[in-house]
Parts: sequence; structure tokens; C-alpha cells
Amino acid sequence: MKRTITALTLVISLAACSIESAPLVASDVHIMRPIPGASATAGYLSLTNTTGQPITITRVASPQFASVEMHESAIEDGISRMYPLPQVTVLPGQSVDFRRGGKHLMLRNPVNEFESVQLQFHAGVALVLTVDAAVED
Amino acid sequence: MFNREKMDPRKLFIAVSALIAILTGAWLSFQIFVPPPVPKTATVLPSPAELPEFMLFDQAGRPFQRDDLAGDWNLVFFGFTQCPDICPLTLQVLSSARQQLIAAGRAPAPRIVFVSVDPERDTPEIIDQYLGHFDPDAVGITGNVDELRILTGGLGIFFQKSALSDENYSVDHSAVVLLIDPQARFHAVFSAPHAVENFVHDLPIVMTMP
Repeated sequence: MKRTITALTLVISLAACSIESAPLVASDVHIMRPIPGASATAGYLSLTNTTGQPITITRVASPQFASVEMHESAIEDGISRMYPLPQVTVLPGQSVDFRRGGKHLMLRNPVNEFESVQLQFHAGVALVLTVDAAVED
Repeated sequence: MFNREKMDPRKLFIAVSALIAILTGAWLSFQIFVPPPVPKTATVLPSPAELPEFMLFDQAGRPFQRDDLAGDWNLVFFGFTQCPDICPLTLQVLSSARQQLIAAGRAPAPRIVFVSVDPERDTPEIIDQYLGHFDPDAVGITGNVDELRILTGGLGIFFQKSALSDENYSVDHSAVVLLIDPQARFHAVFSAPHAVENFVHDLPIVMTMP
């Protein structure tokens, strides 16, 4: 019950924020064109929280891909590893970077040909950010 | 017009001999005291290691064995095509380094050999399309897991499936790039993170080391 109220409070707060300014701002967006033969590609960007409360991204979707997952790559003791990120929290006034060799969006199974990609960031049930970006080679 | 003084032949002989001695000494000093160039990041094995016999398949579906590595220098990287980040970045680095070496006339530039450690998803056709994006001369090989383990075990390479979700998995794998010599022996290793300039600097040195 408490969790539901918290989620609803966040939705209402974010909706209120959106009247004045976007709660979450994307910058430095790079969506790589899938390499021929590969059914997955990566997306990189910075997310900045302009509100006074944390925003936790729990799901990302895209009309151009069957699924979008948040992952983190790391080289640990010479081993390249990739971990799923069930959620990513952006603290008030701070940014989270999705960068090569670190956090990234894993865009799987393109559903059609495209020159631009839309990314939809959800915090629980709330759609908090929509980003449109051209694909890069 | 000029009043030339004739030089004593004996003095001339001594002067020329002294000059030759000085130049020879300088050259010897240069050879002795100026160290040969050394690799910045590559670790060269004290003596090259023989590779085990293995049976894999290339991107055309042809058998690819240990002896198919002979005759060329090879840069060998282990990865998989659904790796969205580190694998394409590494292959891009290797491709750029190779192009720079060729453009600088520092051939023979080593061949890129991509070993897919995800044979479940990476068919020869998929590897062929994928590698064409980076380097048309690159070779891509894979095969059944047991044969892959013969090759990777002999080179100290790690790989293991790792679940990302109920439907998807990743493959954890060693991030090193290996240099295999024209006798198909493990010659040197480059540790991650990889950079074009490291390969461009080190490869001509390593490949010409006595």
C-alpha cells in the first residue's frame, strides 16, 4: 500500500513538473545502427533529473525494437561481463551516463527499417521521457 | 692565386684515421646505449607457445584448423555478435589499427580473426555479415563448444554463458587480443582496454623482434 502511494505520488509530482519543465532531460544521445548480422545494438545517453526527488527508471521501450534492456558492461580481471540493470535511479539534480564500456541500452531485434529511433523511459507506470534520435553508423 | 700549403701525408693519414675511429666509436655507442624500441602494452611470451589442434568452421562454413593460422600474423579476439558494446568496439580498434599499419606501409599487417564463443546464435552466415562491417579480410570462426574449449583452454581464454533475463543471455569472455605468429604459435597478448595507437605502436616492434 505504502509502495503504491509512493508510486502515485511520484506520478503526480512528475506530471506537475512536466507542466513547467521536463523532469528528466536526455542529452548526448547516440543510437548505433545495428551491425549487419547482429540482432542487438547499443544506445548511449545522459539522463539528468531536474526535479527535487529521485527518479527510478524501471523500463525502457522503443517502437523500433522488440525489446530494450538496461545493461552494464565491465571488464573485471580481464573478463568482459554484462549485467542486467532492473532499474536505474537518477538522483535529484544529478545525471546518470550511459556510455561505451559502462551502462548502455541494449536494443534487441529491430522490427523494421528505420533512420531514427524513439526511446520511452518509464518510472513505474509513468512515462517520464520520450527521446527521438537519428541512428548513427 | 691561392698559396696552398701541402699537407704532410703522414699527418693526413693520422687525421683520417682519428676521424674514422671517432665515427666508429659513436656508432658503436649508439648501438650499445640506445635501447631498441619496446612494446607499450603488448606482453610478449618469452618463447612462443604451440597451439592445440582444434576443428572449427569459418564464416563460409569451411573447416578451420590450427594450421589455417599459419603463414600470417593473426590478431585473435574472442566475442559474440550480440555483444553490443565491447566486442564491436574492439573489432573497430583492430580494424582501424590494421588500416593505419597498411597505410603507413608497415605491412604485413596482421589478419583479424574473430572467434565467436556463442555458437548457439552465431551461425557462419551471421558471422560473415557481421565481420564484413569491420574488415572484409577478417576471418570469423566458431564451432561446437567442446572444440572451442580446446582452443580457448590452450590459450587461457575464459568464456561462459550468463543469463540476462528469462529469454536472453550474454557470454562473459576474456577481453584480451592475442597475437598468433606465422608458425601458428601464441606469440603475444594485448590486455584490455584496447586502443588503436597501442596496436599501431607495438605490432611492428613485436613482429620484428629477434
